Amino acid sequence: MAMKLTESTNDTAGSEATEEHVVIFRLADEYYALDIQTVQEIVRMPAITSIPGADTWVEGVTNLRGRVVPVIDLRRRCGVEASDPTADTRIVVVSSSAGMVGLIVDAVTEVTRIPGDQIEPPGVLVTGADNAYIRGVAKLENRLVSLMDLEGVLPSLVDGEAESAEHQLAA
Amino acid sequence: MASAKGRRLQFDLDDEDVKLFCEETEEQIEILDSALVQMEGEPDADLVQQIFRAAHTLKGASATIGHKKMASLTHAMETVLDAVRTGKRKPTSEVVDALLAGLDTLRILAQEVTTRVDSGAETTTLEANLLGLLEATEAPTASPAPAKAARPAERPIPAAVREALAHEAQLGRSVLRVTVAIDPACQLPSIRCFQVLQELEEQGTVHATWPDRATIENGTAEFTLEAILTSSSDEDQVHAAILDITDIAGVEIAPLAIDEAEDSPAVIAAPAPGTRPQLTVVTNDAAPDKAPVHKASQSVRIDVERLDGLMNLVGELVIDRTRLQQIREQLSVVIKGANLKELEANFEETTAHLTRVTDELQEEIMRSRMLPVRSVLTRLPRMVRDTAAKCGKKVELVMSGEETELDRSVIEEISDPLVHVLRNAVDHGIETPEERLAAGKPEVGMVTVRAWNQEASIYLSIEDDGHGIDCDAIRRKAVEKGLLTREAADAATDDAVRQFVFLPGLSTAKKVTDVSGRGVGMDIVRTNIERLNGQVHVRSVLGKGSEFIIQLPLTLATTKALMVTSRGTVYAMPLVSVTEALDEGAAEIHRAAGQTTLRLRDRLLPVRDLGETLGDSRPNTEPPGSRFVVAARHGDRHVAFMVDRLLGEQDVVVKSLGGLVGSRKGLTGATILGDGTLGLIIDIAGLVSEQASSTLAAA
Repeated sequence: MAMKLTESTNDTAGSEATEEHVVIFRLADEYYALDIQTVQEIVRMPAITSIPGADTWVEGVTNLRGRVVPVIDLRRRCGVEASDPTADTRIVVVSSSAGMVGLIVDAVTEVTRIPGDQIEPPGVLVTGADNAYIRGVAKLENRLVSLMDLEGVLPSLVDGEAESAEHQLAA
Repeated sequence: MASAKGRRLQFDLDDEDVKLFCEETEEQIEILDSALVQMEGEPDADLVQQIFRAAHTLKGASATIGHKKMASLTHAMETVLDAVRTGKRKPTSEVVDALLAGLDTLRILAQEVTTRVDSGAETTTLEANLLGLLEATEAPTASPAPAKAARPAERPIPAAVREALAHEAQLGRSVLRVTVAIDPACQLPSIRCFQVLQELEEQGTVHATWPDRATIENGTAEFTLEAILTSSSDEDQVHAAILDITDIAGVEIAPLAIDEAEDSPAVIAAPAPGTRPQLTVVTNDAAPDKAPVHKASQSVRIDVERLDGLMNLVGELVIDRTRLQQIREQLSVVIKGANLKELEANFEETTAHLTRVTDELQEEIMRSRMLPVRSVLTRLPRMVRDTAAKCGKKVELVMSGEETELDRSVIEEISDPLVHVLRNAVDHGIETPEERLAAGKPEVGMVTVRAWNQEASIYLSIEDDGHGIDCDAIRRKAVEKGLLTREAADAATDDAVRQFVFLPGLSTAKKVTDVSGRGVGMDIVRTNIERLNGQVHVRSVLGKGSEFIIQLPLTLATTKALMVTSRGTVYAMPLVSVTEALDEGAAEIHRAAGQTTLRLRDRLLPVRDLGETLGDSRPNTEPPGSRFVVAARHGDRHVAFMVDRLLGEQDVVVKSLGGLVGSRKGLTGATILGDGTLGLIIDIAGLVSEQASSTLAAA
């Protein structure tokens, strides 16, 4: 999908003038995007060791070139139905304030730039718990892509907070 | 100097140099910390020289980066140390106290280089105290030199300087004669002179000073300073900068016409009383001892991250080595009989070589992570001195085994428990001087810290000759707090009772001091040490003293473990906590009233399913009777864990689980298995304590 880089001369008020360079992926039948600066790499599903007694969205830990990386099932985390891994399932390895984390997604569709004037603030279209981690919505051709805030979607390190977030999502 | 806490500070160094500066100063400060304590009383000349050099290095470093406060304070300390060095002043405890106080502030000031924020630390009082300790060589003379006395004595300026001044003037810089008068009531005029000189050097180039630089540097300057300065700043700026310094009575700046300097014939006016008439031409090269003296060192500083990276790579190599061995085994099965003996031989040779190389590489890297325990021990003398003073005790600290090496990961963890046990020994172990004399002991108590290696562990012993552990007092306290019944307390052996010092909330201290006594310390010490797969024991004789022995593995980076599986996951159980592993069929297991117990050598152990204990909700799929039991121990608590299969013993490289999942109960880390997948390392200590607590209550 080729995107033209548009000049920001005729901006509408309220949208960021700068474009965003993102990785777009799919969870069930919804599309999300993450800032490319945070994405370290994208890998196929590796062997994942589950951690007994961990929260449901923690799939486990995996060995990434000698480093132990926790893996989170982003589908469960975002309240989307999780399905068995297919040939398209990927792990998006991101760098966050909690260190390197792997996010399970149903497919990675593209890496692209989204012009600022195609991004709307969440507000109207996104409600409830999702607000914590959706920072904007972009209209690309014929679909809506939710721009995800990495720090917002990762559980905080304090167990209590993580739990309440989970309850919120499950509600 | 005006000090505003929170104000942003500027220093003359790049970001990369900040790290270097901090490492250098940290090193010198540590040296001073332990050496100053030893200097008290009748110190040996070498020690004082070492201390003086450290202070001098610090002064140079702080002056180089333009940290005026720090340079000034160090200068004051150096002056006092010089007096000690030349025998003019004895290092009494008053002197040492003042120097240590200065050192503490230096630490804070050094931090400012990293934070770049003014800490608000005050140095004027400290400097005044320090210099007050010297014989009154710096006190103002009875007839204070009037502030403007220097003015009439126009100094002769030699030709070389005049040429330099002319050159500078051509470049458009102002040539100024600066006369500074220091408040006669000031107790530290030489320090102020030093500060003025520094300030001037910041404003431009100083071509000449009266008194000369050497005089200022060695602390004998007096109340007037005159200098020839060329600068791109104007007079007012220089004026304001100097007035900013404390104790300046007056500043006069006048442009100096070069020709005026040329024909000052009648310049032989008598110098003001007490000032030296020498003139030293200051060139830019004759900078004060700026660079800290580096002795040719046989060692190299390595970033810990780099070492960790190397360790990761070695870990990868170890996996490949294991894989190759597995492939070789597979191959040997396949090619039996076929004429591929030579191939097999080559393969074997290569894997053997690879094994040797990786083993050696692993060991070498492990060794380079090792540090002598000395780095942790150096701060102890100071700590003991301070604690003893606070508690009103007299204590001497003796240390040995400082060169014993251990892995960096352990060193970082060992410091706190060590400090705590020592504090405990000084506060509770050692009696007051009166009590000691009454008991026929020497007035000064002795605490000995020893470190040594044995097999795969490092031992640290903290022994005191205090009054020892009063088992009866502990029994009473335990009953009082409801931790034990009277009968149980009486029945318990002295050895068992002594272990109670590690229970939270059980302090037999008569009062809670600032230092300890709340009864929450020793249990945390034990918990922390056990978290590291270590142990702590206590021995004691009432009236004679106590000894605490901390045992820790040499490294936290790897550990020997028994590999097991439970419900599909591979776990590593640190061998240090495992006593035995047996076949379920061969074990004497009783099931009664919902409890499963194992009889093992006259002991009844509760039996728990490992997966279930960890919170694994997956079902157990192994047929009954085909599993295994692993007996684990922690301290004197024993629990048996039921696992699906035993995979053998292995050296595992410990990897952290990270923040996101790390605080999982029962797990202390992960390890990479031979096939590249992950195994989970079990916190046996934690699990056993938890599982066995019900047993203790029932006992």
